[in-house]
Amino acid sequence: MFKPNTLDHSSTTVASQVVPFLRNYYIYFVLIAIIVFLSAANLDRFDLFERGNFLYEKNIINILRVSAPILVLAGAFTLLMVSGYIDLSVGSTMGLSAVIYAMLAINGMPFWSAFAITALCGALLGAFNGLLVVRFKITPVIATLITLSLFKGIALLLVQDGVSAIKSMGDLKMPLWFNAYGREGVLMGLPMAFWVAVGVTIVLIVLQNRSLLGKYAAATGGNPTAAKLSGINTSMVVFVLYAIVGVSAALAGIARASFMSLGDPLSGDGMELTAILVVLIGGTAFSGGEGKVLRSFIGALIIMTLTLGMLTLVPAYFQTLVIGAVLLAAAASNHFISRKEHAS
Amino acid sequence: MTIQQQSPVLSVEGLIKDYPGVRAVDDVSFSIESSSVHCLVGENGAGKSTLIKMLTGALQPTQGVMKVNGVVYQPNSTQDARESGIATLFQELHVVDELSVLENLTLGMEQNRFGFIIKSDLEDRVIQTLATIEPSINPSARVSSLSVAQKQIIEIARAASSGANVIIMDEPTAALSEREVERLFTVIRRLREQQVTVVYISHKLDEILTLGDSVTVLRDGKHIVTKPLSEVAGRSELIDMMIGRSVFQNYTARTAVTNEVVLSAKGLSNRLLKDVSFDINKGEIVGFYGLVGAGKTEIARALFGADKVSGSIVFKGQQVGSSPKEAIAAGIALVPEERRTQGLFTNLTIRENIPVMNIRRMSDNGIFRSADELTAAVNYVEKLGIATDSIEKHTEKLSGGNQQKVVLAKCLFSDADLLLLDEPTRGVDVGAKTEIYDIIKNLADAGNSVALFSSELEEVLGICDRIFLLYCGSLKSVIINGPNVDTTDILNVVTGGNKGVTQ
Repeated sequence: MFKPNTLDHSSTTVASQVVPFLRNYYIYFVLIAIIVFLSAANLDRFDLFERGNFLYEKNIINILRVSAPILVLAGAFTLLMVSGYIDLSVGSTMGLSAVIYAMLAINGMPFWSAFAITALCGALLGAFNGLLVVRFKITPVIATLITLSLFKGIALLLVQDGVSAIKSMGDLKMPLWFNAYGREGVLMGLPMAFWVAVGVTIVLIVLQNRSLLGKYAAATGGNPTAAKLSGINTSMVVFVLYAIVGVSAALAGIARASFMSLGDPLSGDGMELTAILVVLIGGTAFSGGEGKVLRSFIGALIIMTLTLGMLTLVPAYFQTLVIGAVLLAAAASNHFISRKEHAS
Repeated sequence: MTIQQQSPVLSVEGLIKDYPGVRAVDDVSFSIESSSVHCLVGENGAGKSTLIKMLTGALQPTQGVMKVNGVVYQPNSTQDARESGIATLFQELHVVDELSVLENLTLGMEQNRFGFIIKSDLEDRVIQTLATIEPSINPSARVSSLSVAQKQIIEIARAASSGANVIIMDEPTAALSEREVERLFTVIRRLREQQVTVVYISHKLDEILTLGDSVTVLRDGKHIVTKPLSEVAGRSELIDMMIGRSVFQNYTARTAVTNEVVLSAKGLSNRLLKDVSFDINKGEIVGFYGLVGAGKTEIARALFGADKVSGSIVFKGQQVGSSPKEAIAAGIALVPEERRTQGLFTNLTIRENIPVMNIRRMSDNGIFRSADELTAAVNYVEKLGIATDSIEKHTEKLSGGNQQKVVLAKCLFSDADLLLLDEPTRGVDVGAKTEIYDIIKNLADAGNSVALFSSELEEVLGICDRIFLLYCGSLKSVIINGPNVDTTDILNVVTGGNKGVTQ
């Protein structure tokens, strides 16, 4: 009678050791696998990458600087999703920030001032989202769909003259420093935008693991009632997280504007989907409570490597399908792993 | 603790709470001694929940005074209550599964500098509190890996380490197995040794008799009595005080039982069940009795086709057991164990809940006839005595007993010939229980068969014609109910004793 029991037990102990390991580190294996695959593939026919070797320095720099916007956004977006909330307006916040930043720069404001003011605007936009959600109790999805439209409307209004993006205003031209932030290598050949993303991610990792905000975000997302009964001001937690997401979206907008050398109100379109994708790939639970900033950062690298790497391998009209298939595989394996974990 | 032992830790004086049209709590006064286990009993609707909500700050009294250690106490939120040293263990668990045990214990009390958590003696303190009440829980374990009972203990430990000297526990054993209940009792006794007062609310009178120091009985919002349990002469006196009539039903042989087999199960086996075979006759009420984990729910779900089992289930000459849809079509209905999550659409009204199992019967080619629904709902509300002011009431707002009646109505409406009732009176007050038993008997008298899966011996002995005794997934014995049934023998069998009862 006890034999099957003991057998069962030993098999679960093996699973209980392997499964958490897989759960914690599978994402790194995925990234490595994709890089190995792309390196092995024959890239000779294409111009985008240096011929012959995917791992060539210039390719990596290319990928990383194009990825700067999503890398800077992923961490804050993760914390918000861990708290059980979501922001669909990040793309519009990005677009509006890009326009504001470009206008400030064209009007002669120096880099750091333009940068700081734009970031502040992002914080205000995020805080506005937070206000709608926590004070006016509008469902997050609806509230941020409303602001998606509002923020984009303001950005379009600012550009106004019918052209799609700001490159100059009247006689005023874009200053020469404008695209340095997103393009010019400052350390290891990588631009400031990338290093800011790294810095923001490190700050958020520390916040998540060491601060009240990080712990309370997990508590709010895991069990809101328990959090409130423990005396946590969950509204304040959520409000602050929305503001942080706003700042990150503004930084993403600055990076994108600088990289493209223009202030495009539509430059963030679709960013909310990319952000959700990246965060989910990183293993964050859609229902909240669970998720890590660092894993989303890696998730962003996976998505960007895959997207750009794919450019070299399959026709453009094929890419979306392939990316979808890879994501499906990731989601399936994630589901498999967590089911194993629950079983054990 | 510096509290004088003589002064009551918590007292209420002339407490009144009015709702529109109803006085839920009517001039209640009593006091609770420090370092005791004080039980609160009463039927559903007696005013227990309203009283508790006032003590925890969720509701404000219309009139009257509450005092903590002799000082007037007016909480406006659970937070206020906690600051006055009163913590509550609600029926729903309030722990964060995603955090560790330690993180849960310190939640909301962390020491911080500029928003960053700093190490303090708080961690050591909570770990020590946890170790005194339940040393087997590892503080670094993730809460999601713990059992319901352990999660409850985490909540108790959190309350205790937050400096609460009164912990209110609302039906804490509702989801626990016997062994876990024992452990909880040990924890509560340890708390009492640490000068913590426990206010204990439960429908299970045996628990109150085992655990309590004193008891307060409420009936219809009024305070009936507060006295030490040593002065209470057993459960019959408690029941008398609660309802003024005896609930214990004596079984009388029923004439509607036939020898015609409607359901025959052979060799049911799965993860838990071991070769379970039995027959159920037309017009019969059979009981499946066993402790938690004996396989009652598993058998019910197998018969209904909700879980896969090996073996065969034949119902009225037809093979069933592969899906709930097939079972419903064949005429089997299940009243599941968890009525809130499995039996009811709590966000729908009574009217909308009743026809859901048989919606096709009230539709013409997919178009729904709402007039029929209305008739059916009014009909069943009356037939089963569902206490409500309107059939448009959302079922989440009904009391436990009335919710269960709606679930029963839903199954009755599906015209089932065999009803599987899994713990149909759990969390239901004594008055509603009697009514549910009457409904069951009337059904069986009308020629339906009923299988009752219950962990209350009193219940199966009260109404079942035959009782199947289960232990660890096996069917150990079948007894025919009657005046000569030996309860000691039954308890012996279901706890794993070897001496069987006559087949």
